[in-house]
Amino acid sequence: MDQLPTEFDVIIVGTGIVESVVSAAASRVGKRVLHIDRSDYYGGQWASFSLESISKLHEEQIERKNIINSSHIEHSGISEFVELGNKLFDIKNIECTWHVQSKTDTEQSKESTEMNDSDLIQNLVPNEEQHTQETVTWTKEALLKESRKFNIDLVPKLQYARGDFVELLISSNIARYSEFRSVSRVLTWLNEHLEVVPCSRSDVFSNNKVSVIEKRMLMKLLTSLEDVEKDLSGCKDKTYHNYLKEKKLTPNLIHYVLYAISMSDNNTLCEQGIKQTRRFLGSLGRFGKTPFLFSMYGSGEMPQAFCRLSAVFGGIYALGQPMKGLTISENKFKCLLVNDQKLTAEHLVLNLEHAPKQFVDLKKLEYISRCVLITDRSVMSSEKEHLTLLLYPPENDKNSVIMIELGTLTGTCPKDLYLVHMTTRQKTNPKEDFLHIINNIFNINHKDTESEKPKVLWVCYFSLPDFLSSDVKQNVPDNVFLGTGPDIDSDYDFSVKQAKEIFSKMYPEEEFLPRAPDPEEIVIEAEDEEIEDKDMADKQTDQKDEATDGEVKQKAETKDTETKQKAKTQDTETLENVEKKQVDH
Amino acid sequence: MDDYKFLFKVVLVGNAGVGKTCLVRRFTQGLFPPGQGATIGVDFMIKTVEVGNEKVKLQIWDTAGQERFRSITQSYYRSAHALILVYDISCQPTFDCLPDWLREIEEYASSKVLRVLVGNKIDREDREIPTHVGEEFAERHNMYFLETSAKESDNVERLFMQIAEDLMKQARTRDLPRYDSNAQSINGRTSTIGDSSCCSKLQ
Ligand SMILES: Cc1cc2nc3c(=O)[nH]c(=O)nc-3n(C[C@H](O)[C@H](O)[C@H](O)COP(=O)(O)OP(=O)(O)OC[C@H]3O[C@@H](n4cnc5c(N)ncnc54)[C@H](O)[C@@H]3O)c2cc1C
Ligand SMILES: Nc1nc2c(ncn2[C@@H]2O[C@H](COP(=O)(O)OP(=O)(O)O)[C@@H](O)[C@H]2O)c(=O)[nH]1
Ligand SMILES: [Mg+2]
Repeated sequence: MDQLPTEFDVIIVGTGIVESVVSAAASRVGKRVLHIDRSDYYGGQWASFSLESISKLHEEQIERKNIINSSHIEHSGISEFVELGNKLFDIKNIECTWHVQSKTDTEQSKESTEMNDSDLIQNLVPNEEQHTQETVTWTKEALLKESRKFNIDLVPKLQYARGDFVELLISSNIARYSEFRSVSRVLTWLNEHLEVVPCSRSDVFSNNKVSVIEKRMLMKLLTSLEDVEKDLSGCKDKTYHNYLKEKKLTPNLIHYVLYAISMSDNNTLCEQGIKQTRRFLGSLGRFGKTPFLFSMYGSGEMPQAFCRLSAVFGGIYALGQPMKGLTISENKFKCLLVNDQKLTAEHLVLNLEHAPKQFVDLKKLEYISRCVLITDRSVMSSEKEHLTLLLYPPENDKNSVIMIELGTLTGTCPKDLYLVHMTTRQKTNPKEDFLHIINNIFNINHKDTESEKPKVLWVCYFSLPDFLSSDVKQNVPDNVFLGTGPDIDSDYDFSVKQAKEIFSKMYPEEEFLPRAPDPEEIVIEAEDEEIEDKDMADKQTDQKDEATDGEVKQKAETKDTETKQKAKTQDTETLENVEKKQVDH
Repeated sequence: MDDYKFLFKVVLVGNAGVGKTCLVRRFTQGLFPPGQGATIGVDFMIKTVEVGNEKVKLQIWDTAGQERFRSITQSYYRSAHALILVYDISCQPTFDCLPDWLREIEEYASSKVLRVLVGNKIDREDREIPTHVGEEFAERHNMYFLETSAKESDNVERLFMQIAEDLMKQARTRDLPRYDSNAQSINGRTSTIGDSSCCSKLQ
């Protein structure tokens, strides 16, 4: 393999979403970017994994950290050497267990593949009788055979259809690298049952669990909250819960609005609750029946889409690179030591996970509790496959939980199975934080063979640092920027904000991710050779004037936007036809 | 104008320098770029060809240089209908890396993707890989095989035309990899689809 070039405008370490957005933005405006990661996969703590590889996450993390600790470098006289990496933001409490029959074992086996730090899981599960006739019996071997069909997110994200992230994807033209599915229903847990949350006007009217009076109440409320001009003075110093109560809504309606539509809890302040309600309502009606989109093949695709754009605009990519550390002099980053090379750049962007200990002052670290399940059926069966968002309200001493249930159409799990992601603010540990939900909604030990509840075949718990709620101070040299890791928010808006801030500090004069041209808009010079292809020549005649000088990027941008849009609409229409025709076949 | 019936996504992989970018540009633009083939900002190339009486649009994706340090994104392989694995017949190491590439393809591409092995640069005098060696490798791994020269325009048209023909044949017999059983979203720009069961492209 080649040696890496050694001089850059910016070196970016880590391929999480923040770093990837910064990378794309810098390459897009012509900066020389090196984007590098210690792991041999994209995404860092934002990645998606196959079933096999997520089970090895724990080992991989330990291995990686050992490499850090075993490296020794002599200090040079003038500049200071700092080692990369810290253990502050590691994924914790990883514990994956199987709840299936093993091929060799006719008895129900609960097999632990991953141990939580020191406490071993006891094999407490009593022997069970054989499965009854009914559905297919999945074995561990059968699931592992499909390992690659799983794309299991560490940080599953749903995007608001009119949120900043989606707008950025569209305005930058990075949307072409990804496909999305819209969430097809929103559920909540109400009076010990799963209920469909009426989201849109048509939902409200077709919902038969809501009385006519309630329908009118709800519509009135949603319409009034949608109105941005509305005076919110009656809203000061109170919780959203109290605000809704004063509106004389029924308890069920309060539940829908508070816990589901606004994803609030009992302590959410009124203004915040209204803001979140608007965020929901404002994203309705763009794609699909709910405000939410999920990216096909998992959320780990999103950093990769930005990396692809960065590469297309000249960014150099090197994964699986052993990095030793960096040198600093006069409070400025000088060079990064990779293998035996010294790489220099004007700026350095580092993921917090990769940041030297000295750069981080941790006041308070909050965690996100995560639980992933593989199940044999949906939480609420129906004829067609749904992509479900379930908002589970706070209960007793437990925090509210966001659950996303994915079927095979999302490209994240094999046929006839469901992948369930649960996320909550950590209270004690993931296992306890989700215990009540597992018991209420799932059939984990397969005790009740008559049960209609989804059988859990595999479960994995872990804790991720939550950068949204943690208090991390950065003590970094002037030309170093730290990108944050995961956050509890449902979408990437927080990350986009971070990335924009970093970019504008590095390049205050430059535009952030201007629209990348479509291939059709790019004119490539014949470079002293004749254009042999007649079609191409034809296509290019109308652009001849612009095609004479300058680089592709500029040319594509000088093209007048109106034509561009026209071309695009035509393309889209034709494509729709293609789809129809192919379905007919 | 663009009244094509089918759109297929074709991706190229193989070591840096084997001529992937040149093959794409030879086919789509009919030229052999002197010097560095890659053009900043070019993502994929499109060419509409005719198979039988049908117009078929090929969307051909290049690696964007990410192969140089073996860092191709997984998402590059998503939804590909055909995959061209290229080596340089005058450079043994590019042939020796094929098993590594196959491993990566195995891991990330659809198992149904049409695979073609291409030995490029046959115009060169200093051949290191005899044709039969490439042929045997392709056969062992269930791939089509062709030798090409992007420089002399040898077999380049044929390569892409045969891929188009093969994919058409598969499409007719419904053997095409399906990436979305409802939406039939064969990559490309699918517009907003109202039905929530369909997948949406955001444009
Ligand atoms: C780059 C490329 C080069 C090709 N070169 C040739 C060629 O030199 N000679 C030729 O006869 N055909 C070649 N083909 C295939 C050609 O387009 C037809 O698909 C092929 O002739 C089979 O037609 P069929 O109807 O007889 O068989 P089908 O019944 O359509 O074939 C069944 C399946 O067998 C596999 N298959 C068929 N031929 C081959 C092959 N040569 N190598 C590996 N798998 C194969 C394919 O997966 C095909 O779908 C090539 C295809 C491509 C993409
Ligand atoms: N002689 C010869 N040189 C070629 C051929 N195709 C590409 N090259 C040269 O090989 C080098 C690398 O080509 P490029 O398309 O950039 O390779 P890529 O890295 O695989 O995209 C360039 O110098 C090309 O001029 C060919 O068919 N014959
Ligand atoms: Mg190239």
